[in-house]
Amino acid sequence: MNTERTTGPLTRDSTLVARGLKKSYSGFEAVKGVDFRVSGGECFGFLGPNGAGKTTTMKMIYGAVIPTGGELAVTGLDVYHHEREIKRRIGVVPQENNLDDELKVEENLLIYGRYYDLPSKLVLRRAEELLDFMQLSEKAEATVEQLSGGMKRRLLIARALINDPEIVVLDEPTTGLDPQARHLVWDRLRALTAEGKTLVLTTHYMEEAARLCDRLVIMEGGRIIAGGTPKELIEEHVSPQVLEFRAGHDAIEALLPAVESAAEAVERTGDEVLLAYTQDADALLDEVRKSGVDVKNTVYRQAGLEDVFLRLTGRSLIE
Amino acid sequence: MRGAFRVWQRNVTIFRKFWISGLFPNFIEPLIYLAALGLGLGAFIQQGGISGQSYVQYIGPGLLASNAMFAASFESTFNTFVKLRFDKIYDGIITTPVNAEDVIAGEYLWAGTRAALYGTGFLGMLIALGTAFGQPLVTSWWALLIPPMLLAIGIMFSVLGTLFTSLIEHIDLFAYYFTLVVTPLFLFSGIFFPVENFPAPVPQVAWFTPLYHAVNVCRELATGPSVGVLVDVAWIFVFTAALALIPVQIMRRRLIG
Repeated sequence: MNTERTTGPLTRDSTLVARGLKKSYSGFEAVKGVDFRVSGGECFGFLGPNGAGKTTTMKMIYGAVIPTGGELAVTGLDVYHHEREIKRRIGVVPQENNLDDELKVEENLLIYGRYYDLPSKLVLRRAEELLDFMQLSEKAEATVEQLSGGMKRRLLIARALINDPEIVVLDEPTTGLDPQARHLVWDRLRALTAEGKTLVLTTHYMEEAARLCDRLVIMEGGRIIAGGTPKELIEEHVSPQVLEFRAGHDAIEALLPAVESAAEAVERTGDEVLLAYTQDADALLDEVRKSGVDVKNTVYRQAGLEDVFLRLTGRSLIE
Repeated sequence: MRGAFRVWQRNVTIFRKFWISGLFPNFIEPLIYLAALGLGLGAFIQQGGISGQSYVQYIGPGLLASNAMFAASFESTFNTFVKLRFDKIYDGIITTPVNAEDVIAGEYLWAGTRAALYGTGFLGMLIALGTAFGQPLVTSWWALLIPPMLLAIGIMFSVLGTLFTSLIEHIDLFAYYFTLVVTPLFLFSGIFFPVENFPAPVPQVAWFTPLYHAVNVCRELATGPSVGVLVDVAWIFVFTAALALIPVQIMRRRLIG
């Protein structure tokens, strides 16, 4: 049976497929050949430190950068030949704030709607709905200058949705926001996924990736070094339990033999911090107590994506 | 090209909020030149003026052209640079179906529109003042073609300004553009005195500069054109067409890596 997919008004293809995607800038390779596949309706993340190539990859998706090699298909259309059509179907929340400062909140949405040739009545209605969805209705008539950082970011997200896109691309959506603003954005993004939209985002915050993403890839130095659901990544690469020991330099040195023998893996993230990964935290703690070393502070936690990144690269996500 | 119209529309929307402040450089300022130089300097110019016109009558239509130049130049230099580099407006627009070519075309059109809008207001003022003081500054019905010509002149200077903007990295470099390009054009294009009286090669060089022809067109249309005006009009269109695509290519490369 021929199951060839056709793209058109009847079938909304909200997938992304990349194979060997590359980008070089006169000698510097920003993206060194990445493969990934995003399914419709999922929230897909690119987790990695600054300079990993995440933003360049996003820009190749929304046409702000032309790849130097490889394949990339967005909503079933390849980026080399169908950029305009792709742009009609996606929404972009950029890293920087490029709102029209001279205009009011609602006007920003109306202006943007024009770029998509949407009829004004439709744009007006959608603008109202989106402002409501992003909890900005009260600020519809306010100028952009009067908004807080978190509100501006929510407005950027509302703006990215004005054309009812199948895929929304978000580049570092909560960087620079205070915790309260961040949680509100996460809440709204989860609501978007619940509506069936595909989300593709980049982040260097482990918590963001763990909370929002159905699946993610970890990027470093222009390559994808691991991928899967947050749970899979943790199970595959690190032990489930982590003990963080904080003590003076000498105490840490004295502690090493005991910990190294009892733990499955050990990471030193500073002169005075020792991370021990294990299946059995209690047993490890016993060993530490037996060693008699005076540990100032011990923190017990579950392993997270930060630990996966540390394990894979020897560095932490946030420099 | 629909996209270009949308970019133009955005400018109109913003302009509506700030058009009054634009009146000052684009309307009040040339009036001041007209008064100060036209009347002040004009008082020293011998009877008979310049080819039968009083000095005020001579410089009035010329200032129409330079006004268009200044309006389009500021729009395509400082305003464009700020949108490009600081506000990152164009980066936002090109994530939509409107692409870089549309953006630049829309900005050309807008700069031309601004030049034509304020220029037409200034034209109206020239007519009013001329009538009021008994020294008609506009004496021909051909002057009705001045507004569309101001649009063309504005687009021409927008192309030139955008070309410069697309090449520079720092906003302070515009000082070079205004001092070395715009100001010499303003002074040596036959607005305040005929350049024909200068020794060669000045008149010949002037023929190859844009404002010279813009001034001729405005002056001829205001007072009744000769056939020669067609040469000036053609010059403007050819110059604009020849350069128009260059900034588009450069800007496209700047916006898309």
